[in-house]
Amino acid sequence: MSLAIETKDLSKSFGEVHAVQKINLKVREGEIYGFLGLNGAGKTTTIRALLGMISPSAGSVKVLGQNIDSGGRGPWKDIGHSVEKPAAYPELTVKENLEIARRLQGISDKNAVERVISQLKIALYANRKAGHLSTGNFQRLALARALLHNPKLLILDEPASGLDPAGVVEIRELLKKLVKEKGLTVFMSSHILTEVSRLATRIGIIHEGHLIEELDAKKLEAMRSQRLEVRTNQPELAESILKKAGYSVNLNNDLLILQDDRALEHPENIATLLVNEGSPPTRLSLEQENLEDHFLRLTGAKS
Amino acid sequence: MKLFLAAFWAEILKVRRSKVPLLTTAGFLILPMVSGLFMIILKDPEKAKELGIISMKAQLIGGSADWETFFGMMNMGTGIAGLILFSIITAWVFGREFSDHTAKELLALPTARWKIVSAKLLVTMLLPLGITLLIFVVGMGIGYAVDIPGFSRELFWRSFGSLLLIAILTTMLMPLVALIASIGRSYLPPLGWAFLTMALAQIAAVMGWGEWFPWTVPSLISEVGGELPEPLGIHSYLIVIFVFIIGVITTLIWWQKADQAA
Repeated sequence: MSLAIETKDLSKSFGEVHAVQKINLKVREGEIYGFLGLNGAGKTTTIRALLGMISPSAGSVKVLGQNIDSGGRGPWKDIGHSVEKPAAYPELTVKENLEIARRLQGISDKNAVERVISQLKIALYANRKAGHLSTGNFQRLALARALLHNPKLLILDEPASGLDPAGVVEIRELLKKLVKEKGLTVFMSSHILTEVSRLATRIGIIHEGHLIEELDAKKLEAMRSQRLEVRTNQPELAESILKKAGYSVNLNNDLLILQDDRALEHPENIATLLVNEGSPPTRLSLEQENLEDHFLRLTGAKS
Repeated sequence: MKLFLAAFWAEILKVRRSKVPLLTTAGFLILPMVSGLFMIILKDPEKAKELGIISMKAQLIGGSADWETFFGMMNMGTGIAGLILFSIITAWVFGREFSDHTAKELLALPTARWKIVSAKLLVTMLLPLGITLLIFVVGMGIGYAVDIPGFSRELFWRSFGSLLLIAILTTMLMPLVALIASIGRSYLPPLGWAFLTMALAQIAAVMGWGEWFPWTVPSLISEVGGELPEPLGIHSYLIVIFVFIIGVITTLIWWQKADQAA
């Protein structure tokens, strides 16, 4: 499968600040790539480099098979984008903002504006000035502009930001549909982990300018660490029983936590052991680290 | 060409929907009104005093109540105020893209950046010229209403030519204002620049080397209502053309090459 986005050792510094360093991204055509990172991690800088808005200090960027240079040339007729917070001319209506975008995109189909207005469900606000829109509808306008020219690749920076929960679900379903029906590739940055996990097929995690992990979303599920949590009426006794049996145990607020493979693979042995030794478990559960915890552990934001 | 026209259409739509050009025109309208007022006063100072328009000690600039003085006032006003008013328009055309965060929407498009910037530069020239023509028409109306004596077709065309030249030369100083609005990513730096150049232009005029200072050149044309005792040398025009070319080229290069990270 060919690559929609490929960066090789992409680095960008602003004076002494190294915004991104040696980023090697590979986004395959037809996938939804979630680009995760904390604020200031380098997500927007990477996106701006993908769109030719900044020139890399080192490395190269290729989008839809075309090298992106600093002169602003690129396969833009096939790329829809929304960078950082959504923007529009406040004194112009939704329709006029989209009409400007239609003309600058060189789209001859005059119905394109009506199509995206209906697709993004902003028909009610079509003649409202953009400056009078709610944050959510402003975001929809930005997405409408990004989808106006039926792009092959959509590059979105925090697309769910500002949307209400229903809007988030709606946009997610729309993107899934476009990927499925039209083979669209989506590269989206976010710090909303649950949103990324629900939508992305691949995930890259960026931290302090470095791409620290890149993997399939399914693999991420498997990689998230597991632990066995055990409660008994005599936690200290249970702890000594388990330690005597060679398990590594942490006692935390009367909760026994085991993370070694032996315990995770055969939790029933733990139950049997504790029952036989006279400290039967009152609760025994296999817990999986949630995505937030995994992300924070990776980025070192949580010890 | 189609995409350039699309960019130009977009700029015209922004102008039509904004209050900034309208307010600038309104500000500029003060010029023919004040010129007309001066004509009323010059025509009959005693009556003006009776009407309470001027007080006993009011001092008026020299001149008489005729079309030549009226056109002279209009041209001089355009030469001096034009620098500020045209800069406001230019600062708005370019600076608003940063204030509204819309600049990033102009960068990765099938319409090349230079076409968008050229369309903007064209608007920063055409709009001030249009406003100047409107002000001239209003001025003519006021002149007729006040019934100023001494009109001649020859004087009209000479003054009109001077006004156009003043306006064109002033708009040629605008690309540099556009560059400063772009680099400064706001309205304020170009407005600061406009006031600075206006002040320097006055100093240069007083020092006697205004013909070498591009920001003074337009007001030198206006100084005597088209009747220059010593016509401006070619070097004065060349220096304005030089500033224009530098402004256009650097603005285009900036939009093409500068990092758009903010």
